[in-house]
Amino acid sequence: MAQSIKPDMEFVRELQAAGGESLKKCFQCATCSVACPVSPANNPYPRKEMVWASWGLKDKLEKDVDLWLCHNCGNCADLCPRGARPADMMGAARNMIYKNLTQPSIIGKWMSSAKGLPFLFGIPALFWLFIWWIRSFSNGWCPRTEDGRIVFGNIFVGDYIIDPLFMLTFFGACFILYRGVMKLWAGFKPEGQVLMVDKTKPWYMHLVDVVWEEIITHKKFSDCGADKEKSSRKNGHMLLFYSFVILAIVTAVVAGGHWVGKLVPVIKIETPMPLLFPVKILANIGALMLLGGLSVLTVRRIKLNPKYQASSFQDWYLLGIIWCVALTGILAQCFRLVDVAPPAFFLYYLHLVFVWMLFAYLPWSKLGHLVYRTAALVYVRMYGRG
Amino acid sequence: MSNAILVVGGGFSGLTAAIEAAELGHDVYIVEKTPYLGGRVAQLNKYFPKLCPPSCGLEIQFQRIRKNPRIKFFTQAQLVELNGCKGNYSAKVRIAPRYVVPHSVDFSLLASSLEGEKDNEFELGLAKSKPLYRSMPFAFPGRYVLAPEALTAADKARLVGNKFINLAEEAKTIELSVGAVIVATGWKPYDVTNLTNLGAGSVKNCISNMQLERLASPFGPTNGKIVRPTDGRAPQNIAFVQCAGSRDQNHLNFCSYICCMATLKQCCYIAEQYPDARITVYYIDLRAPGRFVKVLDKVKAMPNVTFVKGKVADARQAAGDNVEIQVEDAVRGEKLTLTHDLVVLATGMQPTLATEKLPVKLPLDEDGFVAGGEEAGIFAAGCARMPLDVMRSAQSGTAAALKAVQTVKGR
Repeated sequence: MAQSIKPDMEFVRELQAAGGESLKKCFQCATCSVACPVSPANNPYPRKEMVWASWGLKDKLEKDVDLWLCHNCGNCADLCPRGARPADMMGAARNMIYKNLTQPSIIGKWMSSAKGLPFLFGIPALFWLFIWWIRSFSNGWCPRTEDGRIVFGNIFVGDYIIDPLFMLTFFGACFILYRGVMKLWAGFKPEGQVLMVDKTKPWYMHLVDVVWEEIITHKKFSDCGADKEKSSRKNGHMLLFYSFVILAIVTAVVAGGHWVGKLVPVIKIETPMPLLFPVKILANIGALMLLGGLSVLTVRRIKLNPKYQASSFQDWYLLGIIWCVALTGILAQCFRLVDVAPPAFFLYYLHLVFVWMLFAYLPWSKLGHLVYRTAALVYVRMYGRG
Repeated sequence: MSNAILVVGGGFSGLTAAIEAAELGHDVYIVEKTPYLGGRVAQLNKYFPKLCPPSCGLEIQFQRIRKNPRIKFFTQAQLVELNGCKGNYSAKVRIAPRYVVPHSVDFSLLASSLEGEKDNEFELGLAKSKPLYRSMPFAFPGRYVLAPEALTAADKARLVGNKFINLAEEAKTIELSVGAVIVATGWKPYDVTNLTNLGAGSVKNCISNMQLERLASPFGPTNGKIVRPTDGRAPQNIAFVQCAGSRDQNHLNFCSYICCMATLKQCCYIAEQYPDARITVYYIDLRAPGRFVKVLDKVKAMPNVTFVKGKVADARQAAGDNVEIQVEDAVRGEKLTLTHDLVVLATGMQPTLATEKLPVKLPLDEDGFVAGGEEAGIFAAGCARMPLDVMRSAQSGTAAALKAVQTVKGR
């Protein structure tokens, strides 16, 4: 049966701008599908995605669960005879999903090139500066406590500024991610009815399996190959991932200690914590792991052979923002410890700006893979692919 | 000033160019690196377009050379220096020793009594030869060649004192005065050891298309029986891997033009010997230029030949010396892992000049094909210029001869 195809050329151009610039070089030899160690035998990727991309079949790509099964190891690009860089195209297609999946789409647009950076940075920068300015009326810009210590909470008060605002940001991002993931999930499903022949587990059981078997172990990264370059990817990502886990635990413990401590004074935790306090030790271990992971991944990206793979704006944005969060956080602590107030407060202010950027823009950033890829991995387990 | 023409390379295009120029009345020198004339064509079982054996075209060329006193050729010879300018070149040619007397002595008995062995380059690793050997089945010149480095001590003792063998022969350098140069340095099969994902030449029963030509040739190592190199068994399930190294930025960045046709031809060889054998051709695109499309139609109509669109991207050893390949059938969207008992890599043509330097200032393109030089009176012919089949190689030889003749005319 003849099939009529409506190519969306604007989409092709956007995809090329988002990191898939070489996709038109593809001549469909299908080397990539064989080179990919994690692509399944039935309807493998990324060859089919390459032809959808060059034909501008936006709809097919947007609903493609395989985009998220790809872990971007680049084996396909190494063997690609035409330098079409399928790995980059898969990354670019994911960037397009970050861009378009959720509202307000203006943020997605800002996130797709360096031109949007002034807006992305400017909004929280002005906002937190405004708060600082208001608070400076009572104690000055860089106040000290009565006993002469530097306490960031004197300006950026936890109870009615930081905690409510970040809660709002965090749960707002969660809500947007929830809407995004529902949309993505609906797209994954084939048209019509899906008939399950065997008994199947509910989705949350599959989620447990995914977390337990794939995310904790980083198994897919190992499946992608174990040479030096590939293992630096796995190790760097793992360091970064576990440092995030540690820092999340620290944040939860500190917040819990603060709020629950109001009712149960025994478990009360107040910041700044002493350096040798166990939670503080854990926090600093997390920060050092963060730096380690970032260094490994950044060096790897710089060393990528441009003949086979390149880095898109989204790749650098995410690495950059995490670098900024880590450095401003660590330096703010250092200046607080050496007791120099102005740089300490300024770096803490920047730290708040960057942390807010990391969370508020999460659904439109590459960090969205945290949710979208996990959803895809759960989906393929439920519907038997992969 | 000279109106002689130097032809570098004694393959089909070089011979054609030399003969055409000589028949127009010019002195021609052919410099050939190997011990025989005929080049790659001599290694084929049959060649396009008429599927005749190589002797068919080459014998005529050899006859024309024999009868034409204007043509002088040097085998085991290499151009080592070229000085001068268009119309007035001086070429230094180094001729390696052959160690046998200049007339055609029949050494067959002596050769078979020798113990030493050497790799047989002509048979592409499929056979060994004695240190005293005929370089190819219908070699022209028909003289034996001696490779002293392969002789054992006993062999040497046996040869000492033989009045037809001169172990003390040394290389000679001669100087030729010519007005124009034809570069017909040809091609070589792309080195499979570069194809790491296809086993890099270490997978047993995974051979190259040129090796299959030798297996199919009645004068080859198996007397024309196509068998598996490891056990001599008749293959029943054969795969052809197209574009093995061609159209690939990591290997040959161009289409080698002839491999599709070579595979179709080889399908015919196999179907003729083993009508029940199953053949699968894995391809990206099938290129059957011009009238050759008839051959494609003919092979497509064969009941046991299947065509699968998809490039084989992985080949490894399987049990029983079979070969396991992986390929995505791009039409059905299915990644296949299949075992064949013989796999033929349709490797492409790499221009000789991509890896071997010629002492001639000659612009090459990034793939190693000659791209220019005509203003200096240097003309490329055959596969030194671009990938060609035999017929078009001959045409390009004639074309180069005409240009060379015009360059030296009236000098």
